[in-house]
Amino acid sequence: MLWPMNRLIVQINPNKMANTASTRFFPFIGHWQKITLGLFLLVLVCWFFADTEVIALEPWAELGRMFTGFITPDFGATEYLLEAVWQTISFALLGICLGLLLGFPLALAYQHPLIAAMCAFIRAIHEIFWALIFLQVFGLSPLTGILAIGLPYAATFARVLADILQQAPPQTVFALPKGTDRLSALIYGRWMHMYPQIVAYIRYRFECALRSSAVLGFIGMPTLGFYLESAFRQGHYQQGGALLILFIALIGTIRFWAKPAMLWVYLPLAVYFLPELPVLQPQLIWRFISIDILPPMLQGQTLTAWFAADTFIAVCEWAYELVRDQVWPGIIATLVLACCALGLTHVLTLIMLPLNTTLMMPKWVIMLMRGVNLILRSLPEYLLAFVFMLLLGPSMLPAIIALALHNSGLMVFLMARQSDDIIVPLTYRARLDHYSYVVLPAIYPHFMGLLFYRFEVIIRETAILGMLGVMTLGFYVDSNFAEIRFSGALLLLMFTAGLNVLVDYIARRLLQAPRDKLQAC
Amino acid sequence: MLTVVDTDLGYGQKIILPNISLALNANEHVAILGPSGVGKTTLLHHLYQQLAEQTCLCSQAQGLVDNLSIFHNVFIGGLARHSRWYNMVNLLLPFTQPQQHISAICQQLELTMPLQKKVSELSGGQRQRVALARALFQQQPVFMGDEPFSALDPLMGVRLLNLVKQSHQSVICVLHDAELALAHFDRIIVISAGKVALDANANQLTLAHLSQHYVVADESPHRAD
Repeated sequence: MLWPMNRLIVQINPNKMANTASTRFFPFIGHWQKITLGLFLLVLVCWFFADTEVIALEPWAELGRMFTGFITPDFGATEYLLEAVWQTISFALLGICLGLLLGFPLALAYQHPLIAAMCAFIRAIHEIFWALIFLQVFGLSPLTGILAIGLPYAATFARVLADILQQAPPQTVFALPKGTDRLSALIYGRWMHMYPQIVAYIRYRFECALRSSAVLGFIGMPTLGFYLESAFRQGHYQQGGALLILFIALIGTIRFWAKPAMLWVYLPLAVYFLPELPVLQPQLIWRFISIDILPPMLQGQTLTAWFAADTFIAVCEWAYELVRDQVWPGIIATLVLACCALGLTHVLTLIMLPLNTTLMMPKWVIMLMRGVNLILRSLPEYLLAFVFMLLLGPSMLPAIIALALHNSGLMVFLMARQSDDIIVPLTYRARLDHYSYVVLPAIYPHFMGLLFYRFEVIIRETAILGMLGVMTLGFYVDSNFAEIRFSGALLLLMFTAGLNVLVDYIARRLLQAPRDKLQAC
Repeated sequence: MLTVVDTDLGYGQKIILPNISLALNANEHVAILGPSGVGKTTLLHHLYQQLAEQTCLCSQAQGLVDNLSIFHNVFIGGLARHSRWYNMVNLLLPFTQPQQHISAICQQLELTMPLQKKVSELSGGQRQRVALARALFQQQPVFMGDEPFSALDPLMGVRLLNLVKQSHQSVICVLHDAELALAHFDRIIVISAGKVALDANANQLTLAHLSQHYVVADESPHRAD
């Protein structure tokens, strides 16, 4: 019985373990610490390039009025209040339903690389931009709002549902009786395994849809955002305060009023009370897809004329100028802004997380922090940035802070329950050192995973901040739409989507790397 | 019934059992024994894939769906007998006929709790019997099980094994209980060190024969060494 032992020793001897440079010089720096340090380095470089100059304004009078408006909200001033709330809910509901109807079949075909690529592309374009596109075709119709939510949500559902279904244990399907049809195999063998996760995810997306629906108001849909923006722009802060409080309450009470069983009541009501659909004008749609979206030199030309040498060169020049003057500066500003926001989100979340777990804080602090989180994640970034811009002057800083606050509120919301579920040794005490040794290492991989996913979301969200004047890709897209240069807007959107797909791909690669190795912090 | 000739078995690139040759006869009850981690499950899953048309599999991992009731978990064994629409409606509004059938099977398996109870609320032994009920509900001529009685007390294990034998022409089980195998099966196959170490009729074997090939059940007082 000696030879197997020999073989064992021979196998261990060529020590693969401690020979790389990093493990020799920093023996205790694990995989996640390296990623974190890399992230901080990146953020530092970006912060250097970012325009973070504080221009001291005299905002105190304005902020004072804002504050007074908030503490003396005027719910009676606006007779359209209920109307706006109902429209916000109904767009969100119908958008989610459309997203599920399209997303579910797509999830089943998601292994196909073409489907996955198509979904990544659709997902990469912000709801606001989808709305701006549909606005040209359908006008200010409810269809615009529902499609603008439904389409990108369908692409997200496709990916996440496919991911969730993949996690179902394979044994059930393996042992299914031979000849079981595919639908039954899917529903009984996989879907029901993951049913609670699926329902929880749909509920979370409904919360996101409510926010998206409100934000669509900023471009003219009759939802809360529309009245919110006009109230703030006109300085009617009592109205604005009332609207904001209502919106936060709406999101905070979702689990009481949005039960799955209630869907059968809300859905028919949402359809019934939909604002009247304007008559579709086919010539308008046709004009948009056959003329408006073409580069100027191709409009009105026959298809054969497209390939004439001089037209072709003119198109190339047009695209080149657009890329040089708008796409590149836009991409750089977007990335710089998003990286800074990501770094700040990381720090803020790490600070707020211990304040939100029962392993560190007494109950009343957690209740208080829940309220803070609710406000942080419910306030649209657009509005947060607007307020910070009053305070700090026009630079990237307000946008960075707004994005970081909003996203860290969401991260804490998603992470807090996970840290509560960690089983701690009996010797554990609610102190920062115990927390850092026991809790943080356990949740950190998931935390980083979520953070990288948020990076993709942050890049998408810079779109809205572009509408506030921060010169991201969204700014250029928005100005192209405003100047009715749809061809330019579409080209920019192509690059925006491409950037998102690329970032998503890199983030996934970074996260996949440690799966082969030990998942140490 | 099935012949396996010179087949390499394993997962992906990793071959655990090289050059396996075996012949299974109809109407035969076979027990597969061997030390843990040797590839018994791999062999059983291979046999199942070859015979899937006429076999039900009761795997060690059970594959129960925690979010479904006992009734639905057992019904999964009958999915292939019905149309997809029947199956879908049955998920929301269970039909009476399968309910009666499944209730009878559960009675036989000494599962007395209400059928609408969720599987996640059951004990280990109860879960194993739900998995057995699912296999029985498939109504196939061949039963394959991967330690299907391991969580039951020995007497109940024997009772249920007899029930399984009554309802199937042939029973092929991976077992760790060598005495159960010798007493109730026709043929014993021992897998050890990556090959078929022993393949003989059970009535010609004793525990002593088996222990030449692997350490038979540590806790057994009859250890012959």
